[in-house]
Amino acid sequence: MRTIRELNKSNVPVVRIDESLDKYDNVILFPDKVAKANEMLRTVGLPKVNRKRKHA
Amino acid sequence: MKLDRYELKAGKNLTVFEFISDGPRGQISKLIQFTPTNYKDLYNLAFGDKHTETGQIDDSVISNNGDSERVLATVVATVYAFTDKYPEAWIYATGSTKARTRLYRMGISKYLEDAKKDFVIFGQVHNEWEAFVVGLDCEAFVVKRKNRKFEL
Repeated sequence: MRTIRELNKSNVPVVRIDESLDKYDNVILFPDKVAKANEMLRTVGLPKVNRKRKHA
Repeated sequence: MKLDRYELKAGKNLTVFEFISDGPRGQISKLIQFTPTNYKDLYNLAFGDKHTETGQIDDSVISNNGDSERVLATVVATVYAFTDKYPEAWIYATGSTKARTRLYRMGISKYLEDAKKDFVIFGQVHNEWEAFVVGLDCEAFVVKRKNRKFEL
């Protein structure tokens, strides 16, 4: 178990789960931004990254 | 470097986060959403203010609450939380205006060396992706949490 000091130093935040936010799960809150992302995917795609090869 | 950030709440799937910006203009509720796109494992990251009375979300409002750096640090924290749960996710983000994109670009540039320890970061320049470097004049960003499978 991590200590409070370790948790406070971590980049990963402590997040409190609030089920009242689940109502947004199937709602697109920022439709313009999502449309822009989809348009980018259609025209540009994703960056190419190299997969590391496994050594035998 | 760990910047000061706001306390976070999230739905159980960790796709929607909420925090309260606290500054000279009062307390402003902010919502952050990671939304799936048409491309597998690519999510759009966006955030905006939640109107306290109507519940409407607005990503174009300028809060001017004097805490933009703390707000950005909080948004970055959600990227860590989200990619902890969804390690294969790519995250796309852009500002609602050129000025706001520039603000995000400055934020990434300021802490780029730290960010690169945990993420691969690309900037969109016209119709190409380039590895993000300080001064890159890009229109959007895409990031992915580093793991053992990928390298630049």
